[in-house]
Amino acid sequence: MKKNEEFYVSYIEDSIGKHTKRALKRFAISSIVVIAASALVFSFSQKPFNNSTFELTSATKITGTFHENPYPMLRVEVAKKTFKNILLLGFGKSSANPFLDKLQNEVPDLNGKTLSIEGNLIYYNGKTLIQITDDEKVTLVNTKKVKGPEKETVSKMTLQGEIIDPKCYFGVMKPGKGKIHRSCAVRCISGGIPPVLATTDNNNISEYYLLTDLKGHRISDAILPFIGKPSEIKGIVEKMEDWYVMRINPQEIKVISETSNIY
Amino acid sequence: MGLDYQLVLWNKHKKTYDKIIVLSMLLYIILFAVVTLVFNSETSIETLIIRAFGTLAIIMLHIILVIGPLCRLNSRFLPILYNRRHLGVSMFIAALIHGGFSIFQFHALGDVNPIYSIFTSNMDYGSLINFPFQVLGFLALLILFVMASTSHDFFLANLSAKVWKRLHMMVYFAYTLIIAHVFLGAFQQETSPFTIGVLILGFIVIASLHITTAFKERKIDRAKNEEKEGWLKVCNISEIDEDRAKIFTVDNERVAIFKYDRKLSAIHNVCKHQGGPLGEGKIIDGCITCPWHGYQYLPSNGQSPPPFTEKVSTYELKLEGTTVYINPKAFDEGTEVTPCKY
Repeated sequence: MKKNEEFYVSYIEDSIGKHTKRALKRFAISSIVVIAASALVFSFSQKPFNNSTFELTSATKITGTFHENPYPMLRVEVAKKTFKNILLLGFGKSSANPFLDKLQNEVPDLNGKTLSIEGNLIYYNGKTLIQITDDEKVTLVNTKKVKGPEKETVSKMTLQGEIIDPKCYFGVMKPGKGKIHRSCAVRCISGGIPPVLATTDNNNISEYYLLTDLKGHRISDAILPFIGKPSEIKGIVEKMEDWYVMRINPQEIKVISETSNIY
Repeated sequence: MGLDYQLVLWNKHKKTYDKIIVLSMLLYIILFAVVTLVFNSETSIETLIIRAFGTLAIIMLHIILVIGPLCRLNSRFLPILYNRRHLGVSMFIAALIHGGFSIFQFHALGDVNPIYSIFTSNMDYGSLINFPFQVLGFLALLILFVMASTSHDFFLANLSAKVWKRLHMMVYFAYTLIIAHVFLGAFQQETSPFTIGVLILGFIVIASLHITTAFKERKIDRAKNEEKEGWLKVCNISEIDEDRAKIFTVDNERVAIFKYDRKLSAIHNVCKHQGGPLGEGKIIDGCITCPWHGYQYLPSNGQSPPPFTEKVSTYELKLEGTTVYINPKAFDEGTEVTPCKY
């Protein structure tokens, strides 16, 4: 140890000698420089966030045709004969269904009926979703049954991408994908939020596929081990207006070692 | 030294120390937030909070971990050690904000209990790349909580300095968990070489300082003393400075031999308060004063002056000419030993 004639005792006034003072000043300044430099390095090094939106503090009322095929959606006419299928989600990491139960008890089959829903919009890259936080804000506008969107088979495909939970990916969280977000996505999909395969091609154009089992039923638990990992998925792709639906056998999902190209 | 327990025994230096901690933390958070909001404005407020406080906690942990070895290498840094607990508690608060927001964000409002979710939402425990890194962060946070909540003299006295010290040495385990948490988590996705470089550099600095200190201390512990009729030859009287001590290892215990008022006394080197090295202390007002927190002991009997009750072991010395000899057999704590006069 360096020889130090000075001796600091906290309860003795002015026991800090001038050399000690100088050493302390040096340490404090160095620490502050390290703190400031680290703040700059860590903040500047973050990957860019996407411009997805979650309107947490404002509610929007939308009216359209309800369909559950297999995931609950509201088909809204956004321009003449142009429809957008808005994915319905519940509060937190849950499906929209608990918020539809009350109305479904009164009107057993809501499919094709016109509903009005007030909730928080989530949107990104052409897709819109809505979070329902109160079952009182789901109301029946018209009991007349209207035809829902048709599904057209596109082809059998093998796609590479990442299974994400659409609620976080399209706006609630940033980033709503990848390893950091994996646990949250597992909770969301386990809680009933529809799984979506997100892909990005070489031209950086993304496409999204709602995943169902081969019979077109919902899937959840069977795909939990693959969420948030770059994967290769085989299935039959169908087009449902502005969404693709992909029928898959979860046992055929392959985790691939490549870096996910969706981020 | 204090007889009763107060939340904080404030003094001018502690206040300055804490002001620097708070202002530095504010500087970090403000800089991080401003840069992010200006250059990466699509961030969400939750992500901003999680990242700002998480990275702040890591940087603070690095500063905390260099203080110990730095003080062992240069005693002028000792006043930083004196109030290190406040730095530790502040770091825990930053880590808690990071952990609390992350647990709420990623695990709450789901179909299972958030704590259960931390351990079960990702079950890839057998894979390094896919390892559930949040478990590591959660365990580190628990360790930091135990350390922060016992960072008070009340626990130090009631748990005993030995147990308390062992408990607080778990900071190294927490550091390991945190590094693994970051490398297996954030760095799998946020792959900037600059951020990875900062943590590698931090590890190198911490490891080098600890290794240098360990080598220095090993020299003291490995020094061989010549034995003569049950007495160990330790040094020449001129090697000890007035009102100061020299440390020797006898029977695997470190002993401090103090020189004062033309007398020599030897006591066990470890302070009863927090394990500070008494041999690096000084005689002030006739008492051996610990360099860490100023705890005092009388050189002739190793007892803290009344009304304090701390006691350390004492040793018998003898002089042959100017050569100092020590009887390696320690007396019971607080045993009166006639100082060796010269």
